[in-house]
Amino acid sequence: MKANSFFDAWNGFFFAEQSPTPLALFRIAYGMAVIATLFLLHADWIAWYGPNAWVRLSTIRTMEPGPRLNLFTIIPQSDSWVRILFWVFLISAVCLACGLFTRVNSIIVFACLASIQQRNLLILHGGDTFLRVTGFFLMFAPAGAALSVDRLIRIWRGEEGAEIQPRRPWAQRMIQFELALLYFAGFCSKIEGGSWVQGTALYYVYHLDELQRFPIPPWFFRPAILRLATWFALVFEFSMGVLIWIKELRYPLLALGVLFHLSLEYSLNIPMFQWDVLAAYILFVDPVDLTRFWNRIRTRANRHLGQRVNVIYDGASERRLRTANMLRAIDIFGQLSFADLRDSRAPFDATRQDAQDELLVATNSGLRRGREGLCAIAGVVPLLWPLAILLRIQQLWAPRIAASSKAG
Amino acid sequence: MSKAPHSDKVKSSQQYFPGMKNWKYIAINIFLIFHILAISTWCLPMTNPFVQVCRFAVRPYFVWTGLFQSWDMFSPQPETTNAYLEAIVLYQDGSTKIWSFPRMDLLSLNERYHKERYRKFVEVLLDGKNSVLWPDVARHVARLPGIRDGDPQKILLLARWSTIVYQDDGTFTRSPLDENVFYRYDVKPGDLQ
Repeated sequence: MKANSFFDAWNGFFFAEQSPTPLALFRIAYGMAVIATLFLLHADWIAWYGPNAWVRLSTIRTMEPGPRLNLFTIIPQSDSWVRILFWVFLISAVCLACGLFTRVNSIIVFACLASIQQRNLLILHGGDTFLRVTGFFLMFAPAGAALSVDRLIRIWRGEEGAEIQPRRPWAQRMIQFELALLYFAGFCSKIEGGSWVQGTALYYVYHLDELQRFPIPPWFFRPAILRLATWFALVFEFSMGVLIWIKELRYPLLALGVLFHLSLEYSLNIPMFQWDVLAAYILFVDPVDLTRFWNRIRTRANRHLGQRVNVIYDGASERRLRTANMLRAIDIFGQLSFADLRDSRAPFDATRQDAQDELLVATNSGLRRGREGLCAIAGVVPLLWPLAILLRIQQLWAPRIAASSKAG
Repeated sequence: MSKAPHSDKVKSSQQYFPGMKNWKYIAINIFLIFHILAISTWCLPMTNPFVQVCRFAVRPYFVWTGLFQSWDMFSPQPETTNAYLEAIVLYQDGSTKIWSFPRMDLLSLNERYHKERYRKFVEVLLDGKNSVLWPDVARHVARLPGIRDGDPQKILLLARWSTIVYQDDGTFTRSPLDENVFYRYDVKPGDLQ
């Protein structure tokens, strides 16, 4: 009986299908964290990783022997090749954040990330390590299943409908496990040190000149406050490692964690660490709650985004159906409503002949199609606003170009 | 009689993974169990012999993949000294120059966010266990623009530090700055090419 319930709990935890949206949001945050890390490293890229870097590759290999996943040992040792690696890494991270060829790019990003960390292990902080180990599990996760260009491509190819398909979260659970372990291992390590138990640890941390960032109010340095803050850090790390798995305590702990990390981001100069860790918080949010939260934002946003636009399509046409599904996927604020001409309840005065070749867009000024229809759609769907701007520019310049070519 | 619980078990597992091939399910479970156990034993501070054996066994895999990890920020004890690193450059003509590693407390907010890796690097360099790095660092200093052109002959690495003295009333006191030249490097002609 007990074995059975454990078996069920294990399967439920790792294999019960759920929406991949939290994972997709993590992928975006992860990609952005990697991009930001690269951006911060950019000026010193050659100084840290070039052939004549602060520490040479041969020295690192002497110091840390053994075979390692390190692309620097494969590429020719020249500044140009090291720079090429940087750009490949950056482009791949951008593609990962966008969800374009997600699986391939998650592998490239992990390989590059592991390589730069293996090339110079001496300049890493916990955030870098966290990016690396979570990047490993991200390679196995269906990270492109939602909010991705890959999904749009699948919809366009007719391999997927407008609804996001649930996926097995086992790889996501491993990333969650890593986050909980980060806190719990940190707690275990801290209680071995006397200053954490005595409550004096933060006194030293906040008097390290090189870690200071923004000014901290003087009252914080009162011994009683520092002691409480030190013990709070211990309690918090234990809770995030152990109690985070209890559903009822999860959201209060996540909220506390956000405040905790933001306060550290304010007070300590440890670039990206807090954001690297906070990115993984999203994985602890129940997809149902995430949908509820998003709907609330959507309702508020709809008030400011203008009137909804009705898109009419012929569902009998595979091509029109796919286009409509793509628009459904892009329309994250629900600004479009869709009507299938086969549906007798469709309230528009259009025939299937009208919508045979393209989508129709019903606006207050009547039915629009083609470029005009696209303009109407792009104007109300935020993800298509760049397209709306391009169309507008084209619209403004087209007559001038035509006139000048006529004059010529 | 004995088959009934087994078929129940299979049924209850299949509700979670319809259409999933058995071998795939087994492979994923092996992957999960292995990584959960291996990562836990790797990074939790436990000293019993079994854990040591496990760490030794998974070490090649962890080192290769980059799954090695330790979560010990400011622990078990936070640093209790403010330490800085400088390089004294001796030139052919007998003149000297002091080159300082970027010091976060002297940089602008924006610069210290970009240059923080130097703080970590200095922290590592000042640990005597990492003396293997010192020749590379001295050589790199000799190659820096502004130093290289003057034909440097010798690089001395100088540590300066001051200890944070804990005060019961919460006020901040630091010990006087101490200093020590901990490494001397003779620049070789090939270093500057």
